[in-house]
Amino acid sequence: MIDYDYIKAESLEEVLRLLKQYGRRATLIAGGTDVMVQIRNTKKAPNVLISIRGLKELAYIRKNKGYHIGALTSHRMLEQSDLVRRELSALNDAASWIGSVQIRNVATIGGNICNAAPSADTAGPLLVLDASVVLEGPEGRRTVPMTEFFTGTYRTARKKDEVLIEVHIPEEIKSFGSAYWKHSRRKAMELPLLGVSVALKLSKHKQIADARIALTVAAPTPVRAYKAEEFLKGKPFNDDVLKEAGRIASSKECCSPRDSLRCEAWYREEMIEVFVPRMAKLAAKRIGTE
Amino acid sequence: MNKEISMKKVSVSFTLNGDPVSAEVPVTWSLVKTLREYFELTGAKQGCGVGECGACTVIVDHDAVNSCLYPIPEIDGKSVTTIEGMAGKDGSLHPLQKAFLENNGVQCGYCTSGMIMSAKALLDQDPDPTEDEIRTTIAGNFCRCTGYVQIVEAIEMASGIRDL
Amino acid sequence: MSDYLYVGKNIPRSIETDKVTGRAIYIDDLKRPGMIYGKILYSRYAHAKIKHIDVSKAENLTGVRAVLTGYNIPDVRVGFIRDQTVLKKDVVRQIRDEVAAVAAISPEIAEEAIGLIKVEYEELPGVFDPFDAMKPDAPLVHEVDVRGKPIRSNVLPLPWRFQAGDIERGRKESAHIVMDTLSTPWVTQACIGTSGCVAEFDSNNSLTLYNQTNVPFWDKQRITEYFSQIGLEGKRVRVANVVVGGSFGTKLDTDIYEFICIQLALKTRKPVKIQFTREEEFQAMPPRQPTHFTIEQGCDKEGRLTFRKAEAILDNGAYTSWGATTPSVMMMPMSSLYRVPNVSFVATCVYTNNIYCQAMRGYGNPQATFAVETSMDSLAKEAGIDPAELRLINCNQPGDVTPMRLRITSCGLKECIESVKEKLNWDVKRGKRNRRGVGMASLIHVAGGARVYKSDGHGMSIKVDEHGNVDVLSGGTDQGQGSSTVLSQIIAEALGFRPEDVSLTFGDTELCLWDAGTHASRHTFIAGNAALMACEKVKKQILEMAVEHMPGIVKYRFKREKRKNPDFVEPDLDYGLISDPEILDIKDRMIFPKNDPDHLFFKMDVVQVLRNGLHVGTGESKTVMAEAFYDPPTEMLDRELKGNLSCTYAFGTTGVEVEVDIETGEVKILQLLAAHDVGRAINPTLLKGQIYGAGYMGVGYGLTEEVKLRNGRVMNANLRDYKMLTAKDVVPVTPIVIELGDEDGPFGAKGIGEPGLVPTAPAIANAIYDAIGVRIRDLPITPEKVLAALKDMGGVC
Repeated sequence: MIDYDYIKAESLEEVLRLLKQYGRRATLIAGGTDVMVQIRNTKKAPNVLISIRGLKELAYIRKNKGYHIGALTSHRMLEQSDLVRRELSALNDAASWIGSVQIRNVATIGGNICNAAPSADTAGPLLVLDASVVLEGPEGRRTVPMTEFFTGTYRTARKKDEVLIEVHIPEEIKSFGSAYWKHSRRKAMELPLLGVSVALKLSKHKQIADARIALTVAAPTPVRAYKAEEFLKGKPFNDDVLKEAGRIASSKECCSPRDSLRCEAWYREEMIEVFVPRMAKLAAKRIGTE
Repeated sequence: MNKEISMKKVSVSFTLNGDPVSAEVPVTWSLVKTLREYFELTGAKQGCGVGECGACTVIVDHDAVNSCLYPIPEIDGKSVTTIEGMAGKDGSLHPLQKAFLENNGVQCGYCTSGMIMSAKALLDQDPDPTEDEIRTTIAGNFCRCTGYVQIVEAIEMASGIRDL
Repeated sequence: MSDYLYVGKNIPRSIETDKVTGRAIYIDDLKRPGMIYGKILYSRYAHAKIKHIDVSKAENLTGVRAVLTGYNIPDVRVGFIRDQTVLKKDVVRQIRDEVAAVAAISPEIAEEAIGLIKVEYEELPGVFDPFDAMKPDAPLVHEVDVRGKPIRSNVLPLPWRFQAGDIERGRKESAHIVMDTLSTPWVTQACIGTSGCVAEFDSNNSLTLYNQTNVPFWDKQRITEYFSQIGLEGKRVRVANVVVGGSFGTKLDTDIYEFICIQLALKTRKPVKIQFTREEEFQAMPPRQPTHFTIEQGCDKEGRLTFRKAEAILDNGAYTSWGATTPSVMMMPMSSLYRVPNVSFVATCVYTNNIYCQAMRGYGNPQATFAVETSMDSLAKEAGIDPAELRLINCNQPGDVTPMRLRITSCGLKECIESVKEKLNWDVKRGKRNRRGVGMASLIHVAGGARVYKSDGHGMSIKVDEHGNVDVLSGGTDQGQGSSTVLSQIIAEALGFRPEDVSLTFGDTELCLWDAGTHASRHTFIAGNAALMACEKVKKQILEMAVEHMPGIVKYRFKREKRKNPDFVEPDLDYGLISDPEILDIKDRMIFPKNDPDHLFFKMDVVQVLRNGLHVGTGESKTVMAEAFYDPPTEMLDRELKGNLSCTYAFGTTGVEVEVDIETGEVKILQLLAAHDVGRAINPTLLKGQIYGAGYMGVGYGLTEEVKLRNGRVMNANLRDYKMLTAKDVVPVTPIVIELGDEDGPFGAKGIGEPGLVPTAPAIANAIYDAIGVRIRDLPITPEKVLAALKDMGGVC
């Protein structure tokens, strides 16, 4: 039968100490919406759950030479933040569509990233917002760019004895507009069949100065569609250009969607082609809205 | 109470429907199991156990949460409101409870406790929600009977937007 | 119509206040002293021999009280055609086969014990498609029938052949003929409250089964039969419902888990609760019957239907439950939706190693109506006739007798079609092919009972005590539709009391009189009529009591007045006004003479009469109680599957406007109008609730829901992957309530529980065709199917 020790850490130092003490026998738990579900579904639990839920000092959204979001910020906080909605729109989109209000009230951005599901809603937006994560471990603090964070399906660069404490988004993103589309059959309680994130910066002459495109559920990990981004840079912002970018993003050059019970690969590819242009348009509309 | 065999236990103290309470239960218990089996408050239901149906929704410190996923050690020091705490001490019904009965927001009633708690959390924070906000609020509460229409109307009635 | 006090009014569900305060006891909440918990071990394979079961580790686990297998309980066959046993022995035929069961002191220990049971299987080839199962070399799902005779084929020997008129003549008379092939999937009821029951034996081995059944008396019947085969012949069986967390058809059979629960209770001598987890509810609860249809229809130059010929192949799964009887209901739309003179319908049920099926809201009607109404639109296109017009040309009329010999009495189909047409702005919106389109579909359903069994009756007893409390015992059940409120309105109206005076007890076989079951949308009609019959008797008793006692009550009042005030002069009253029950009436719990309703002395609270009638003092005391059993004047289906099995029929039309995103294939419903010919709405708010709920279920059936089976295994056994709609999936539903009355219904009311769902999917499919010229004949109509079809076509045309 399932049994475990549940230890509520009161400080980051205590968390690191406990991680060191219990090693592989322990799992970190924040909001619990992934960990508790996994325990229920697999009927297996680690020996020790180290809860970081009480570290309220890690729940914050700040703007100070860049954006700083504490790992324990709930999706509901992200959803309801005017700052995030205006300036980190794709992240706001993602947070707003996760699960349900009940889930968003307790589930955290740190938990979402560290669980590293190929379908993680916040992953795509963080990739296009040039985010990096701050990890704290026994050897101190280090920063890992989002683009290097997902190392495999449900695997990340976080070492077992490290805690993700903050997500950092650079100040430069302010000049981008961004958007995230979660393609799903229903409007709530869903995992995405496909996620398309776009961040765009336009020049004065309505040319695409810079672009970021990320895809989720289109590869073993969330990925950036670099070839499509390269194509867009310097091009005029028009339908044909966007359509071609969508085509490139949906091609083998950028992604490898698979057939699954939830959705077939061909449809995922089609949706990438459709939503890269749509999200690019939405992202462009959102540039400089403040 | 279930006879658990050599499970690690935890002691928690919290406020339940306005009253200070404490409990000693196995560490692995969720909030919904504690409410139902320790406190015998069976209003919140475990419809799925994995945070997908919403029938277990209660309010913890102003937030609607799935109590099936809420580890009981975390409840220490918090304030919990369940459906049993909605009516007045004299039994008078909360406007939400009245509206659900008047507008047929209750059919089989299994989802009702969770629905009302989600709605209460909303109205406590925003007494004047739009229809879209109401639907977002209850999106995590499945109902198979009503098609949601009369539930949304009941919540609007309770908020005073629609005439009772 | 509106001079009723309660009928037709939106009386709130105050009778069910416990549901909003958390006090209502569902099966989850029921606790009996000493109760323990049962869990079931299911098969690992869809088709396999059981070589060996080792329960030793499970039996030795602390806290386990019993472990059962097919080898240590009596080998009794149960089910509609007795083709399965309670726990499976020797062979498993579907992945949800129950192989063993455990009772333990907690659900967690029971579950752990289940994990300790070791079963050795030898896998056998399985068959998972009815067409494959019909091939001559297909593995047989059953080798022998219930009598032990060898079976040579997977096709079930069921009599679903319907023939009326002459198809060939119909063909010859046709100017236009179309043929369509369609399929509908498994979808599941997905009640939010999961299935379960508590079985408890008393010291005399009498059983009480606390249950959630729609059919308490059939449940009792089947369990009693089971008892006679397991050495409990003659022992009492009581089935008593708790508050039910939804049904939608799940509780029409006596499920295997009920028998297992009874066996565990018998073995352990303790009350045992079995309740399904959500995963179990998806994997083990038999879903709606899937179908493969081929349908051919023809019409003459004027658009009058000439014939309708259909064949259906039904994947029966490994055993037989109500799913195999859905063709008996399919015959209704096949033969009687619209006027069609020549009809042929053949349904073949085929064993496979998939999950078997049972009842689900509509019971075959949604599947068959999808076929008929798709075909109607196909025919309209072929004939160049507007689809609404084609339906009006062939519209059922009051007085019709259909090829199935259904007698149509009240019929508002024309009004339904026309109102939907008008409100949709049909003539303006249709035929634009601009990604927006309109479509409609209609339904016919039984609405005045359904003579499936020899008795289609409902027994009700009503007593009125000396406090004015009206206590009603009704053999029916309430799954959430609000029967208690509706019946309290009918009874209050008929008796002259108030709804709050009425309390109802449902579904307890020990207290209540027999009822055929809450199914086929029959409850309001049948129970309502039983109520009217009982109320008539009760009211008569009260009025007779009044005649006997009212003069005394009045005179006693004067006597007291005189004692207080010696100058008081007793008024000279005309006691003739209250001398006969025929000239008295009751309204608002006040009794009064009809000829002088506001009489100063003769208008009084009925309670005074009742009290005086009980406390007489001379041995003449009386109580007030009556019962009635209403069995409607209908027929059973004869050998040709014809007969007027219902007293009246409900009609309706659903009209849908959609917008299709041709890049994604997504279908957005802009409006859904549901017009229903209900006779009379006893409680309009409750009635609309049925229309909304059924409509939503219908949209799910049409667009999103599907139980995905792969080699017999349910692959989407959770609420995340089974796409039941959420509150965010807005479907603007507008009910249109057509009230033309019905001469046989209580206050003119007909049934509504199922009709709301039936025509929704074909209306959506027809609207999609109008929007983009693409016809999808295979539910659910997912965006992938729409997009793939658009691509095949090369775009919208």
